[in-house]
Amino acid sequence: MKLLGIVGSAAEESYNRQLLQYIEKEFANQFDFELIEVKDLPMFDESNDQTQSVAIQNLNRKILKADGVIIATPEHNHTVTPALKSLIEWLSFKIHPLATKPVMIVGASFYDQGTSRAQLHLRQILDSPGVNAIVMPGNEFLLGNVKKAFDEFGNLKDEKTRAFLQSNLQKFLKFISVVSKLDDAPEQLPDEDLQAKGSVATTIPDVNMSSDHWVEEAAAKVHPVKGDTYVQLDHGILTVNQIDELLKSMPFEITLVDGNNQFLYFNHTSESASMFAHRKPEQVGNPIGDCHPARAYNHVKQVISMLRAGKLDVFRMPVPHGPGKYVVHNYQALHDTEGNYAGINEYILDFQPIIDWYLKKTGKELTGGNVDAVSGASKKDNTEKTDAVPGASKKVSRQQPDAISGASEKAAPVKPDVDAVSGASKKD
Amino acid sequence: MKKLIGIVGTNSATSTNRQLLQCMQHHFQKDATIELMEIQNLPMFNKPTADKLPDIITEMAAKIEAADGVIISTAEYDHSAPAALINALDWLSYGIYPFVDKPVMVTGASYGALGSSRAQAQLRQVLDAPELHAMIMPSSEFLLGNSLSAFTEDGALKDTDIIEKLDGIFADFLVFVDIAQQLKNAHDANKKAAADFDWDKIR
Ligand SMILES: Cc1cc2nc3c(=O)[nH]c(=O)nc-3n(C[C@H](O)[C@H](O)[C@H](O)COP(=O)(O)O)c2cc1C
Ligand SMILES: Cc1cc2nc3c(=O)[nH]c(=O)nc-3n(C[C@H](O)[C@H](O)[C@H](O)COP(=O)(O)O)c2cc1C
Repeated sequence: MKLLGIVGSAAEESYNRQLLQYIEKEFANQFDFELIEVKDLPMFDESNDQTQSVAIQNLNRKILKADGVIIATPEHNHTVTPALKSLIEWLSFKIHPLATKPVMIVGASFYDQGTSRAQLHLRQILDSPGVNAIVMPGNEFLLGNVKKAFDEFGNLKDEKTRAFLQSNLQKFLKFISVVSKLDDAPEQLPDEDLQAKGSVATTIPDVNMSSDHWVEEAAAKVHPVKGDTYVQLDHGILTVNQIDELLKSMPFEITLVDGNNQFLYFNHTSESASMFAHRKPEQVGNPIGDCHPARAYNHVKQVISMLRAGKLDVFRMPVPHGPGKYVVHNYQALHDTEGNYAGINEYILDFQPIIDWYLKKTGKELTGGNVDAVSGASKKDNTEKTDAVPGASKKVSRQQPDAISGASEKAAPVKPDVDAVSGASKKD
Repeated sequence: MKKLIGIVGTNSATSTNRQLLQCMQHHFQKDATIELMEIQNLPMFNKPTADKLPDIITEMAAKIEAADGVIISTAEYDHSAPAALINALDWLSYGIYPFVDKPVMVTGASYGALGSSRAQAQLRQVLDAPELHAMIMPSSEFLLGNSLSAFTEDGALKDTDIIEKLDGIFADFLVFVDIAQQLKNAHDANKKAAADFDWDKIR
């Protein structure tokens, strides 16, 4: 379940933002939650249409692919903020991503009664034909006296408030599933061409994709810059060599597949046999159909079509590589600056050293549940409330930058048995 | 003669609400001067922590302060007033209180038949908030529906029934402005109440 939270305040410091951040943190194991901001968006102006701007298009795409939207509104002068209203106007002018989208309204205010009037206005606004959202009826989550509502860790202090929020969110999840039944039959995602017979703007034409020397042959066509030539990036300037060094220093294996399902790159960190996925330089350029056994095609197609359609941002799959490891293949969608699908970054990472490092540094332990089976971490008989695995791993991923560099110290690549996802290459 | 401000309640370059105010400006020139005030190009309100308001806001506030009354003609976007108008009102109630006890007449034009009725209803609630605290003329809805075809080429209203209705409401508004003057006993207290008002301190 994918939910989007709209911070209805343009203020630098906002209690409504804090409320959504709390929801994001507290309910991480119940749904995916992404926050979007109304601050820094241009004021709606009918005579200066900016619907096509990157900022509006990105929001459009995010809303379209969300299962539901939670709007946190402040109250200014008995109504919603201009910044929130302006966003809704952009989203009801030339595009209508909120149409038939389940929406839940919450609001935080300094005042007891806070946001009750703004919430009513917002309901009327969302109900207008140009917006046409489906607002969850009945529930009113008003967080009054907000300056006293959170503790120093950003958690809601009052247990009743927490329980009420929890029950509202549960209702919203149910509401979403009811509303989705109002829709017609589930949409069929278009089939994926794993043989890369089409092309995208960056496809290098007239080179045999299956050739063992695709890189050299393609290079002869497009004369790519290399070595000490500078390249400007978002954001910085590096030479091609520096980019290579950077990518090879990453504590994971990266593979890039473009929007045409052509395998274009991997960071060649070691010999094929000692990589988690046994990639070989000769495979580069192949259609990805050539890198997977036919029995995996359906699954691969399914994942790519969901990433392409924006139903998923990332698909993660643990692949057994023997004891003491927790290797995960992560298929992360790439997007261009306009938000269009641009392919996949597959990165393969052993999480185990990260978890070990985190536990060592924080003195925490994995307890409860079937810990051994999941991570091989120490088991501890314990009935007290714990940071069970989902909670812990969530925290790990938040700490990624540090945790990963820690991991690389320890994670000596060991010969993997199988690469269940990519399968053995046909050329193997 | 009364000095009024007519706020164009949209930032759109072409606006039938602007047309309506221009029409009133001309039509009522013997009874009042109506100066049009635009809300285009104001920064987005973001509760800045700095004390100083943008110059354009303080200039607008001074004009409103000096006027006998204000006419706000609101467009309707998504059944409510445009963000640009709400934005102007937020700035004009942020540590400054030019609207407190100011006589205000609400009008509105819309392309459809309903003449911005829902935006006007919300706008009245907004103007009633403690830091705006305007004196809104009661029982006086002026709705201009089908506004794209409501004006002649030289900007006059076509429909004589509508002109009659507007004449009546505007005459009432001039009286309301006078009455409002007499209701100013509590003004200083109201002004102070708005300035002292703190969303923190009410229960
Ligand atoms: C111009 C202005 C008008 C306000 N009007 C109201 C109001 O009508 N009702 C209310 O409860 N709070 C009002 N407040 C205070 C809000 O409670 C507070 O700014 C907001 O809801 C907190 O949300 P945030 O921290 O996410 O911005 C107002 C604040 C400003 C700056
Ligand atoms: C985003 C958007 C939303 C609109 N929503 C409404 C609406 O809810 N009701 C309506 O009568 N007209 C709506 N309109 C149409 C006109 O803009 C509206 O009637 C407006 O009041 C005309 O005023 P103006 O000529 O001063 O711009 C909408 C227009 C836009 C661009």
